[in-house]
Amino acid sequence: MHVKPIFKSAFFLKSVFVLSIVMLLYISSISYNHTKALNESSDLLVHSYKVQFQLEHVLSMLKDAETGHRGYIITRDAVFLKPYKSVQDKIYTSYIRLKALTLHDQPQQANLDILLQLIYQRIDLISNTLKGILDKTITEKDIAENLLAGNDIMDKIRTQINKMEDLENSVFKEHQKKYEQEVVFSPISIFIFAVFSLLVFILSFIKINRDLVVLKKSNKELQITNESISQAEIIGEFFTTRQNMETRELIYSDNLFRLLGCEPYSFIPTPDNYLTFVHPDDRHIVIKNAEDAAIQGKTEQHFYRIIRKDGELRYFMSLGKFISDPKSKMYIGIVKDITDQHLNNVALEERNRELEQSIKELESFNRVASHDLQEPLRKIQTFISRISENDRANLSEKGQEYVSKIESSASKMRILIDDLLLFSRTNKAEKIFEKSDLNKLLENANLELAQDIEEKNAVIRSAELPVLNVIAFQIQQLFVNLIGNALKYSKPGVSPVINIDCEKLSAKNLPVFILDKRKEYYKISVSDNGIGFEQEYAEKIFILFNRLHQKSDYAGTGIGLSICKKIAENHNGYIIAEGEPGVGATFSVFLAR
Amino acid sequence: MPTEPIRILLADDDEDDRLFFKEAFDEIKINTKVSLVNDGVELMNYLLDKGNQLPHILFLDLNMPRKTGIDCLLEIKQLAFLKDIAIAIYSTSASDMDIEETFVQGANVYIKKPSDFNTLKKILEQVITINWQYQTSGLNRDNYLLSL
Repeated sequence: MHVKPIFKSAFFLKSVFVLSIVMLLYISSISYNHTKALNESSDLLVHSYKVQFQLEHVLSMLKDAETGHRGYIITRDAVFLKPYKSVQDKIYTSYIRLKALTLHDQPQQANLDILLQLIYQRIDLISNTLKGILDKTITEKDIAENLLAGNDIMDKIRTQINKMEDLENSVFKEHQKKYEQEVVFSPISIFIFAVFSLLVFILSFIKINRDLVVLKKSNKELQITNESISQAEIIGEFFTTRQNMETRELIYSDNLFRLLGCEPYSFIPTPDNYLTFVHPDDRHIVIKNAEDAAIQGKTEQHFYRIIRKDGELRYFMSLGKFISDPKSKMYIGIVKDITDQHLNNVALEERNRELEQSIKELESFNRVASHDLQEPLRKIQTFISRISENDRANLSEKGQEYVSKIESSASKMRILIDDLLLFSRTNKAEKIFEKSDLNKLLENANLELAQDIEEKNAVIRSAELPVLNVIAFQIQQLFVNLIGNALKYSKPGVSPVINIDCEKLSAKNLPVFILDKRKEYYKISVSDNGIGFEQEYAEKIFILFNRLHQKSDYAGTGIGLSICKKIAENHNGYIIAEGEPGVGATFSVFLAR
Repeated sequence: MPTEPIRILLADDDEDDRLFFKEAFDEIKINTKVSLVNDGVELMNYLLDKGNQLPHILFLDLNMPRKTGIDCLLEIKQLAFLKDIAIAIYSTSASDMDIEETFVQGANVYIKKPSDFNTLKKILEQVITINWQYQTSGLNRDNYLLSL
């Protein structure tokens, strides 16, 4: 599961978030300053216009008064004096307004006072002129002089107003300049920051999106894992427990309910509630195990019985382990329903006991065969040997024949018992494998059969045989039986020729009946030119007591080849027979390298 | 002057076997004196009875009631005054285990009871003509089991 990248991106997202907030704050503060400066300059502009307006107003009213009194001088018509009469109040009103507008502007206040002086001078001059005209105390020459003086003052007023207007303009311009310096940079930086923020946001969006995909995938995987675990629990008939060893909090998986034969969540899964399902005689096991785990940190496998809700008895096995990380220690446990396994084991044990019993019976049968059957037989034979030696002459011809028949039967029985004992010994004997030279074992076998070989005038040819890890005396017995068989079933009047061949078979050349294809095998075959047999009997001849021929034709107990088969099996090998009537037989033994 | 007969003792619970044994020695033309006991307990009583002359060769059946041949063998080998008796195991079976055990416990020769009277005679004759000096000094696992 991909947990790490998500942790990393959590850190990344936090950083992006902090960065974004810082940038937003920065952009806001710039915007605020910008707007504030804009407001200030617009206020300043308005103020400057107001000042200019009042100044122009004053000038224009003064001009009206002057124009009026000039008209009066020329026409002596009082109509022209109308503006002059109201001008003083209006000018004073404007003065008050200007005074208020320039309240904190010391130079402008001074200028305003100078302007007011000049205006009063002008108005005084006009008043004097008009008074002189009314009183007729003024000459035309004086009027002309007064007009000239008035013009002078008027020029000064204009200059003063211009000066004031310039001053007002210069304040605004200076402010405007400062504002422009400040503000010109901000739109660009705001834009850059905005673009940058946008980029950061887009990047984080992409990143978050990606993480979401990974997270979804992880979630999906987690879901699948959880689902497969709970399915596995159902199939495997187990439930799990998790216990935090610090908090002692214990969590059971849901399959608990199923294994206890309860509806899911039909009770609260706690240790105490669980214990009520445990067989009363086994509760101490569960309690002790929990204590051992908690106190000594032991995690031993243990078994106990459960009584399901419906009363069915089940066998449970519990085991677990501790998982530690730096923060906590956790006990992970598995509790498995092993009832089937347990019952199988019980049945198996029962069958084992039965088998042991029957093996014991077989062994005692062997004892009977070896001792108790041999004993009377030996006596019969000995007594007959006494009769045939000492009293033969006293018997009738029939009697002598019967004695011979008894002798022959007894010796057949002797062979049968010996062969049976040999067969059971082959079954039972300790299987001591040792490296043995098969050539040597074959030689020993030939020595054992020397008398027969000589009697039958047989020729035995042998290929070079390998050294193998075998039970030596059994392989020797195998050779004795196979060669003995070949001698026994030779064609009357024909000298037996027996060939012993050896072939190494690699894995791919193995015959189909060899299931273990990993090993290499030696195929050792004994073939003869004897009477042979029909191929259909090839498997039957290995069965105990199975004989193909009349007892009178060929002596034999039908045990020899069974012993051979047993020996091959003891070596995890195989034996097969191939025959053709009148041509011969071949017995092949397959022994693993 | 006639030589002293070879004293032979057989411990065997089987009446027929005692008969064959006795008859075989009757037919062997060697001067022997054969005594018979019926089981291990009788054997030990016989040996411990100072009135009886100790045998030169003891033939010991293994499978006897009350006290088995092996038990007798163990007891005999622990008694110093019985040490010189040559012991021939005379048993129906010739299991590897019996052969091994009696050899280890110090028996001198192991005879499997034959099923032919002539063979029996030959074997018994061979046993009593063995040079026991040689047989006991060179204890040999290979020729311990006597065969013809």
